[in-house]
Amino acid sequence: MLRLESAYRIVIMSLVGLTVGAAASLASLAFIDALFWLNNALLVSAYSRIQYEAQPALLAAATILVPTVGGLIVGQIVSRWVAERRGLGPPDAILAVQTRESPPSFKSGVASTLAALVSLGCGASVGQYGPLVYLGTLIGGLAQRLNLMVRDLQSVAIACGVAAAISTAFNAPIAGLVFAHEVILRHYSLRAFAPVTVAAATGYVIANVILQRPPLFLVEFAGVEHGHEFVLFAVQGVLAAYLAAGFMGLIAFAGRMAQRLRLPAPVRPGLAGLVLGLVALQLPEVLGVGKETLRFATIEGAFTVDELAVLVAAKLAVTAMCVGFGFVGGVFSPALLIGVMAGALFGMVWPLILPLAHSGIVPYAICGMMAVTSPVIGAPLTTILIVFELTRNYDLTIAAMVAVVFSNLVAYRIFGRSLFDVQLAARGFDLSLGRDKAILGVRSVAENVSQDYIAMRADESLGALTARLNAVGRSEAVVIGADGVFQGHIRLQDVVDEPPETPLGAVARKDELVFRETTTLWEAMDRIRDFVGEAVPLVDARGRVMGVVPEGAVIQGYMEAVHDLRREENAAA
Amino acid sequence: MRRLSVLALLMVLFGGGPSAADEPRTLTVLTWGGAYEQSQRAAMFAPFTQATGIEIETVRYNGGIEALRDHLAQPGAPEWDVVDMIRADARAACAQGLLEPFDPDILADSPDGVAPEEDFIDGALGDCAIVQLVFATVIAYNDDAFPGEKPRTVADFFDTERFPGKRALRKAPVGMLEWALRSYGVPRSQLYDLLSTERGMRLAFRRLDSIRDDIIWWRGGAEPVEQLTSGHAAMATGFNGRFFHAQVIEGEPISIIWDGALLEYNSWAILKGTADKDIAEKFIRFATGAERLGDMANRISYGPARKSAQRRVGLHVTTGVPMRAHMPTTDRHMATAIRKDDRWYSQTEALRQRRFEAWLALGEKQSAKADQAKSEGPRND
Repeated sequence: MLRLESAYRIVIMSLVGLTVGAAASLASLAFIDALFWLNNALLVSAYSRIQYEAQPALLAAATILVPTVGGLIVGQIVSRWVAERRGLGPPDAILAVQTRESPPSFKSGVASTLAALVSLGCGASVGQYGPLVYLGTLIGGLAQRLNLMVRDLQSVAIACGVAAAISTAFNAPIAGLVFAHEVILRHYSLRAFAPVTVAAATGYVIANVILQRPPLFLVEFAGVEHGHEFVLFAVQGVLAAYLAAGFMGLIAFAGRMAQRLRLPAPVRPGLAGLVLGLVALQLPEVLGVGKETLRFATIEGAFTVDELAVLVAAKLAVTAMCVGFGFVGGVFSPALLIGVMAGALFGMVWPLILPLAHSGIVPYAICGMMAVTSPVIGAPLTTILIVFELTRNYDLTIAAMVAVVFSNLVAYRIFGRSLFDVQLAARGFDLSLGRDKAILGVRSVAENVSQDYIAMRADESLGALTARLNAVGRSEAVVIGADGVFQGHIRLQDVVDEPPETPLGAVARKDELVFRETTTLWEAMDRIRDFVGEAVPLVDARGRVMGVVPEGAVIQGYMEAVHDLRREENAAA
Repeated sequence: MRRLSVLALLMVLFGGGPSAADEPRTLTVLTWGGAYEQSQRAAMFAPFTQATGIEIETVRYNGGIEALRDHLAQPGAPEWDVVDMIRADARAACAQGLLEPFDPDILADSPDGVAPEEDFIDGALGDCAIVQLVFATVIAYNDDAFPGEKPRTVADFFDTERFPGKRALRKAPVGMLEWALRSYGVPRSQLYDLLSTERGMRLAFRRLDSIRDDIIWWRGGAEPVEQLTSGHAAMATGFNGRFFHAQVIEGEPISIIWDGALLEYNSWAILKGTADKDIAEKFIRFATGAERLGDMANRISYGPARKSAQRRVGLHVTTGVPMRAHMPTTDRHMATAIRKDDRWYSQTEALRQRRFEAWLALGEKQSAKADQAKSEGPRND
């Protein structure tokens, strides 16, 4: 019987991997195609702009108007159709998977994806991979509706969608697989691993074999020629960490600025679009995903040191503004672009200071790209694998590995694991101490409430209480007012010396531990450490007693949650 | 009597009426000269004259659309009828109203009855032109110029230190920009995106600058072959069929570098306002038939643009050399080929020309300054 059950599970999980993978992959391709079409139609891409090079006034008008109007449209879409009133992205996927709660509604997801398409299509300085990850989440989330009677289906299906989206977008199936585990699932169980692998491979097959998409990023590179350069890669990693932390800090700062502006939220992206357009008149490189700039940064002599420094600063600023002011999109592609330019800059500058041999700017550009990106998305393994899969160059991968590791170490200290985790922490979901705390941090202790307790009114006498407690063989009672509001807590051993006619209100202790509706299992566990009674009263927002939570129930809730996690993490099939 | 009139009607319908037979008509075709035109004469022009009695006169054409514009600007009806032109040029000429609209109904089915829309390669049917063959502009070198290490890649074309010698380049902003950018390691799929930026253009011309003193120019397709065989140039860009002819048929010491071969399409188009539109269409129908295209491909190594003709590619008609390995469309060559982006070309015509001329003028200014410095030198001593 057990065997049949696990066979069913294996078949269902594999089919989920296959269908979610195929759907997410096709949806991602459609998204990318629509994006390129918009970029060409709206004169955002260099390829489309060149045909109007003889009409600079028209180009200038498009440069300013397209992001501005696009921003206003994005503002409308988000405020009307996205219930959360913001763009959805990887943090929402992480939250849904980690807490096993439902992701935002399908309608919100579709609207957010549309808003991302408009944002990117109009050249906003945001990334395409965040929306693609959410697109994968959206499609994976549909599997839960099928009622397939399989445990952990939602988490695994979402991970499948995300893996397929990344695998398709980057033409990098291994990176897609690892990204889904490293960022979304945060554990490596075989049960999840198998279907996610199927999904990532499906995405790769569809993008690469059936539709024959060109690889996203090819680099020709002979190899790292000098041993001392690895020390420089490590140094570069440390510098990149500061840049990444600065980038993330700037995004948070821009978000706070936007809140402070006396401007309705739907208008904010329009303002950001206007500023972006004005900057782009001087620096067209800041527009959009910046594929061309990404390439130029790996070409010796394409930029001067000054140009790179200005572009890094400009891209940092406009990206923070676009994200903070409500354009919908990710931070992955801008981080890649900022990183590759900063890396090229590093590769050009250090030989001016240190008279040592070097192997050109390519390895520095690639290392910089990954060293800035990986702390932002909190995925060192994924970024290392992306380099490996995109360049198929072992030397370059090892170089990037060194830079990525140092950058993650440092950035973790100064900012946190990733922008996603920091954003989630701001929403009250803290993953910094691992999944246990995070999940216990969202489970409410109210789930474990018990109605088996003695409640007495404050004007009743101590004698009545003693009689009642003796009758049921208990030693504690909760004292409430006429309106049901909590007045205190009485333990028999504390009142043995009081006269029996004393009203309960006079001897009830109010300073004892009380749980509120919002108290999480994590807080409860922390607070019952010094608790000596049988059960903790639970009160609602207005102070009325809802019941009590026995000490044993808190521990049991904790054990169940942790056990659930361990079981999920070690599930085989 | 009745039968006769039917016959007469048929003859009129097929364009070979008695009046046409009475006064001999000629068709004027613009084409590219040299080994290419010789092959066309043998595979298309002569058989056409034999079948219809219509003589074909050729006029030399070196690409671009200025020649057509100038000709049409002259007073009176145009003297030219049919143009053998590169697809990108045909698109630009079509957009500027220099060509008659093309009627796909004039095309013949394949011998086994496949409709032209199916039989021709994708994108062959244009508004004003029909693609007939695929050719490549390639880099070739004189074997004698490099007795040791041989150049293999586009980057080697720009490396005059490792591979010294003059470089023969077409005096037109076609291909040179792609190769210049490719020499930096830009992937083939990204060339036109990057060339669309100011930075990309600047990088390309900077690369060309680095070999400026070693460049000799050519205009007509036969010239680079001659420049190579005469030893004037060590490397040259040119049309793959011409190099094939010199190397394989004439035994010259020439080798083709297939890396970065720029794939382009030749198409037939009819000049606007020609008085002989009827025979021009008849000629195009004839010349794009599977048999004629196949015969053409067995004379010079250009790939036919219809599948039924591709199946006829075999041995060279006079020397018996197997032709498939020399086609630009073989898998091995396609793996490193650059597909010319016609749309980009027609959109950037003015820009490319302007940048190229400015670059040429800059070179002249520099060399004049250098000459001046030289002549001033002794006076200062």
